[in-house]
Amino acid sequence: MATKKKSNSRRKAAKPKAGKSRRVKSRKTQKAGRKTAGRRSAKKPSTGRSRRGPRSAAQRVSGLLVMLPWIMQRKRVKISTMARQFNLSETELIEDLQMAAVCGVPPYTPDALIDVYMDNGMVIAEVPLVFSRPLKLSTAELFAVTVMAQAAMQLPGADKKGPLATALAKLAPLMPSGAETIKVQLPKTRFVKELLAAVNSGERQEIEYFSPATQKRTNRVITARKVFEDSGRWYVAADDHLSGEDRVFRVDRIESLAGTEIFDQLREVRDDELPWFSESLQQVTLRVQKSARWIVESYPYVSRVDNADSSVDVTMSITSTHWLGRLLVRAGNNVKVLKPSEFKSLKAQTAKAVLARYQAASPQA
Amino acid sequence: MMNLLALLVDRAKPLTLRQVRQELGKQYPESDEAARAAFERDKAALREMGIPIETKTLGGDAAGEVTYWVNRSNYELSDLRLTEPERDALQLAVATVHLGAQHGEEALWKLGGERHLKKSSMSVNIGLVDQNMGTITDAVMKRRTLNFEYKGESRQVDPYGMLSRGGFWYIIGYDHLRRDQRVFRVDRIEGRVVAGEARAFKAPENFEVAAAVPTEKQMLAAGDGEITTATVLVDAALAPGVRREFGESFVVREREDGGVEFAIPCANLGAFRQWLFAMVESAEVLSPPEIRDQVVQWLEELATGA
Repeated sequence: MATKKKSNSRRKAAKPKAGKSRRVKSRKTQKAGRKTAGRRSAKKPSTGRSRRGPRSAAQRVSGLLVMLPWIMQRKRVKISTMARQFNLSETELIEDLQMAAVCGVPPYTPDALIDVYMDNGMVIAEVPLVFSRPLKLSTAELFAVTVMAQAAMQLPGADKKGPLATALAKLAPLMPSGAETIKVQLPKTRFVKELLAAVNSGERQEIEYFSPATQKRTNRVITARKVFEDSGRWYVAADDHLSGEDRVFRVDRIESLAGTEIFDQLREVRDDELPWFSESLQQVTLRVQKSARWIVESYPYVSRVDNADSSVDVTMSITSTHWLGRLLVRAGNNVKVLKPSEFKSLKAQTAKAVLARYQAASPQA
Repeated sequence: MMNLLALLVDRAKPLTLRQVRQELGKQYPESDEAARAAFERDKAALREMGIPIETKTLGGDAAGEVTYWVNRSNYELSDLRLTEPERDALQLAVATVHLGAQHGEEALWKLGGERHLKKSSMSVNIGLVDQNMGTITDAVMKRRTLNFEYKGESRQVDPYGMLSRGGFWYIIGYDHLRRDQRVFRVDRIEGRVVAGEARAFKAPENFEVAAAVPTEKQMLAAGDGEITTATVLVDAALAPGVRREFGESFVVREREDGGVEFAIPCANLGAFRQWLFAMVESAEVLSPPEIRDQVVQWLEELATGA
């Protein structure tokens, strides 16, 4: 293998002295890593491994132990492709591969070294047997596979005998016995399948939609762009031809759906572009007692402060006064509006409005 | 570190630290103490990555010396012979189902697959981002007993299983404090979870995870109130949603204006109140009078209290 590209001047030349191989270069600060996912709230910050700042030698080695078998299967891969694949900058990838290139087994003859070099934007590698097989999957990775596969099998169009199912069957012997009692349930909501088909065809759909903010049902025409599940609910991001804006609709509030036979050009919406809220939203700060913590858990918020008495001050964007009134009545004495002052009496007002119904009507009406 | 691994794997026989230093030469510091420290660091890091470094303390002439080796078959993934369509299917699953953690992608790379770099027209978010999630999932998979604080009490729980539903993760297990099976929400655990030894318990035969966690409908009924059902009128705008949620068997009567009367469980009054008030003025308890009076009393308190 050492003969293949001898003439290449960019090849890492003489194999290094052993002493140098433990050196880890100081690193430039990386530009911001992956875009944060389009989460609708700050309540679940992504804790995926941050690529910012220097990585430890252990992180780099553990990355290499994954990358080397991977590149072995392919032999030649573009540097840019490989960097994207592993969430690394090209500089980081090159540095890591350079580190690998001085590794091997004493007495470090060429055939016992990892033979990896960069040529004309390509990574070319021959890896000695020691590094040619990937590591076993960790428990965390097996768990992730279980969860993702279960969720994927519940999606529209999933084939119970298809390649995903057979792949899982091959993975099954690796799973510890406890994996059998880990279950993922996605909400079963009608129209998800139809909306997904509409995303892929571009066909405009006429929907009847119930908005709890206004307590009204509207008929509108939408072009669906992405169907997604978050925190136990299905949503569709769409061009809303009624308002002329990009909107997110809750699929379980769609009462009816029909194709229009008008087709729009397909457009992809990234997770971080999802138009969760329209612009003109008001913010409100609530003090939430511990027993009404579901408010903090169920709705997106802008910021939160945990108080010493285990209450939480939470600032959130509200979609309508009606929506806030409903929230206040549901939480009762366990929530209080701190600001703005115009909403301080909203709970009482809303309660009075509901009470009026009980006072007006005789129950047997 | 890579060279240490390569050496331990390549040499068929166990090596002492002295031999490792001879082989690796200047890669370790000259002084015995510093070399030992560097070696221990590397060894710990490799173990952290899932590479089991075995040790044995020698007897006889070399009494007290420790030898180290790595058995490849203990850490290498055997070839699963996944086909291209199978890899593609896993790739698509990883791209569609977001976990907020990278383990899925890492598993995919190890299986020889690639990250799906195209945008997908569908996505699912299943958060694994809780600080305790790693410990808990490991405990469930390996049957370790968990210790944690929950609702102000120290619990010791044998986690029989886990369920992701409605945006939350639940643990279902045997609670040693209550001496009964209980459900815990992962995000409501207070502080850090501590796990015990593997294979500490067995889950009951044919344990059904999903059935062990009550749905909202079951929650409304799961209380000790004497009155177990209330008739609730829901206006036309909201009636279809309630009907879908509870099903036809809960419908009592349909009105001409599109409103529907439902028989709703209310043994758990707290849960009932929250469910009812979510519909504000679009719903009304018709009977029995005790529940209707209770609702009026709640509203009066809210109307005057503020």
